[in-house]
Amino acid sequence: MRLQKLLVLAIGLMTVFALVAAACGNDDDDGGAATPSPSGQQDDGDDEPDQPAPAGAVSGSVTISGSSTVEPISVRVAELFEDVQPDVAVTVDGPGTGDGFKLFCEGETDISDASRPIKDSEAEDCAQNGVEWVELRVGIDGIAVMTGEGNPVECVTFNDIYGLVGPESTGFGSWADAGSLGLETSSLPDAALDVYGPGEESGTFDSFIEIVLEDIADERGQAATTRPDYNANADDNVIIQGIQSSDTSFGWVGFAFSANATGVKLLDVDGGDGCVGANAGTIASGEYPVSRSLYIYVNRAKAEASPAVTAYVDFYMSDEGLGTAVADVGYVNLTDDAMGATRASWAGR
Amino acid sequence: MARARLVGDRTNRMMVQAMQRRSTDVRGRVFQISLLVTLLISLFILGVLIVDVVMDGWGILTGRPGGFLGGTMRSLSDDPKLGVHQALVGTFWIAVFVAVLAFPLGIGAAIWLEEYAPKNRIARFIELNIRNLAGVPSIVYGLLGLLLFVKHLRDVTGGKSIASAGITLAILVLPIVVITAQEAIRAVPQGLKEGAYGVGATKWTMIRSQVLPYAAPGILTGTLLSMSRGIGEAAPLLLVGAVSGRLGRDSGFFDLGDINEEAFMAMPVIIVEWVQNSGRDPGFAAAAAAAIVVLLVFVILTNAAAIFLRNHFEKRRG
Repeated sequence: MRLQKLLVLAIGLMTVFALVAAACGNDDDDGGAATPSPSGQQDDGDDEPDQPAPAGAVSGSVTISGSSTVEPISVRVAELFEDVQPDVAVTVDGPGTGDGFKLFCEGETDISDASRPIKDSEAEDCAQNGVEWVELRVGIDGIAVMTGEGNPVECVTFNDIYGLVGPESTGFGSWADAGSLGLETSSLPDAALDVYGPGEESGTFDSFIEIVLEDIADERGQAATTRPDYNANADDNVIIQGIQSSDTSFGWVGFAFSANATGVKLLDVDGGDGCVGANAGTIASGEYPVSRSLYIYVNRAKAEASPAVTAYVDFYMSDEGLGTAVADVGYVNLTDDAMGATRASWAGR
Repeated sequence: MARARLVGDRTNRMMVQAMQRRSTDVRGRVFQISLLVTLLISLFILGVLIVDVVMDGWGILTGRPGGFLGGTMRSLSDDPKLGVHQALVGTFWIAVFVAVLAFPLGIGAAIWLEEYAPKNRIARFIELNIRNLAGVPSIVYGLLGLLLFVKHLRDVTGGKSIASAGITLAILVLPIVVITAQEAIRAVPQGLKEGAYGVGATKWTMIRSQVLPYAAPGILTGTLLSMSRGIGEAAPLLLVGAVSGRLGRDSGFFDLGDINEEAFMAMPVIIVEWVQNSGRDPGFAAAAAAAIVVLLVFVILTNAAAIFLRNHFEKRRG
C-alpha cells in the first residue's frame, strides 16, 4: 500500500515538473507556423502533411559542421533563412575546420565551414570517397596582433613577429631578443615578453602561421610553427585576459574577438607596404596583412539531391547572407567584386 | 584520626590544582575555530558564485522568463528567440536515461556485491575496479560512447543522438551509484538481518523487508549525487553529438520519436558555448548566467524529489 502511494507521488511530481516545462516551451512553438498559401497542394516532402506549405516552400534538413570561426555566420544565415523557409531544419556544429572536413569527406555533412582553403590531403580524402565540392568564399576575418596598453611599440613587421613567436624564438624572454636571429627587425625595447595565443587545434593558430610565419620559416629552413613555450588557450577571452595582464605582452586572436576587447592595444602590422592598423576597412580591402578568407564547402551531390540544401546556399549567396549575416556576427563583408565571384562559382557549379 | 592517604602528596596537589584551575583548552579552541573558518570559506565561495550568477542572469530571468525557457539557440545575444528550450529537453531526457538505466542496475549490483557475492579474490577484484571506474575522467566515457553507441549500435541509438548521450552518462554515473548503494547497505545493522532470519525469513524476504527499507535513504542520497553529476557533464556530450552552433529542430519534452534523431543539445553544453560566444558578443555572458541558474533550479528540483523520498523512507525506518 505504502509503496503504491509513493509511486503515485513520484510519478505525479515528475509529471507536474514536466508539464510546467513543456508549457513554458510551447509558447514559442506556434510562433513559426507556416502561413497557408493558395498553392498549398504541391507537397515536396511528406514530413508535415498537416501544414500547408507556402509557395516555393521546401522541407528537409541541412547538416553543417566545421570551423568554429565560420559557425556564427552559418547560424545567422540559418536564422534569417528560417523566416523564409520554416520547414528546413538547419543544424550547425563547430568542432574546427579540420574535424569538419573529415566529416565532410566521409559524406556525413552537407556543408563544411572552413577558415582556410581545403588542404591537399583533405581533398584527396574527399576524392577517395567520391565527394565533390564547391568552394565558396563568404567573408573575411582579420587576425588582430595585440599587446598591453602601456607598450611603446606601435607597429611590428612580419620579421619582428617571427623573431618574437617563431620557431627559433623558443626561450626568448625579452622583445629585444627578436633581433638576435639575424633578421632585419625594428628596434624593439628590452622589455619582458609574455606571449598568449590560440592553441594548435584552433583555425586562428593555423592561419597565423600560414599568413605570417610560414614563408620566413621556409627561407630559414625551419618548421612552420610557433615557439612551443607560450600560453596557449582555446578560449579567446582567456587569451585577451592574458594580454591585459602585462604591459609588454604579445598575443593574437581573431579580429572579431578583439573588437570588444578592452585594456589591450592593437598593433599595426607592416607586411612590406608600410604599417597598417587593423579595422574593417583595411581588412576588407586586403591592405591589413594579417587577414584571412572564410569559406563554406558545399557537397555537390547533396546540393543536387536536396532542395533544402540548395535553397539554403541560395539564401547564403543573397545580400542577406553574404551581406547582413556576415556583418551581424562581427566579420568583414567581401568587396562587391569578390561577392560577385562567389555567386558566380555557386551559379556555375 | 588522620584520613588515609591513597595517593602521594605531590600527585594529590596536582589533581586538586587541575580540578580547581579554570581550564583553558587553547589547542582545542584553535582547532574548533579553524574548522569553523574552513566551513565559512566554503560557504562564502559558494555564496559569491551563486550571487554573481543570479545577478548576471537577473535581467533575462525576470525580463522574459517564458521566452528564455521556450527559446532556442541563436547567434546573437539580443535575439528575442534566444533561450534554453532545446537544451532543457536534452538534459531532461539525459536525466530520465540515468534514472531508468543507472539506478536499477547500480542498486542491483550493489545488493549482489554486499549480500550474495562470495568474499573471495574475484569479488574484491570487481570491487576494486568499480572504485577505479568512479575515478575515470568523463571524457573517457565520451570516447566509449562514441565508439559503442554512436558507431556500433547506430541502428538502436540513431547515432549521435540523445539516446547515445543518455546511455553514455548512465554508464558514467553507474560506479558512483554502486559504491554509494554498497555503503548504505553495509550500514544496515547485523541484528536486523539476524532478526529476520530468526523468524524464518528467506534471504530474499530479509533483503526486501529489512535491508532495502533501512538502506533506502542512503541509496537515495547516492543516486541524487550521481544524477547531479550526470546532468552537469559537458565533455562527453561533445563527443557523442551535442552541437555547438544551431539545432535545426525544437522538440517538445515528450517527442519520444526524436530521442534517436541525430544531434541534440544539453544545458552544460549550451553554457560552455555561450560563455565562449561572449568573446564575440558580450551579451552572451548574461545568457550563460541565466542558463546556469536554470540548470541549478533543475538540479534542485530533482534533488528535492529525492530528498522528499528519503524523508519518507526515514520515517518508515524510525
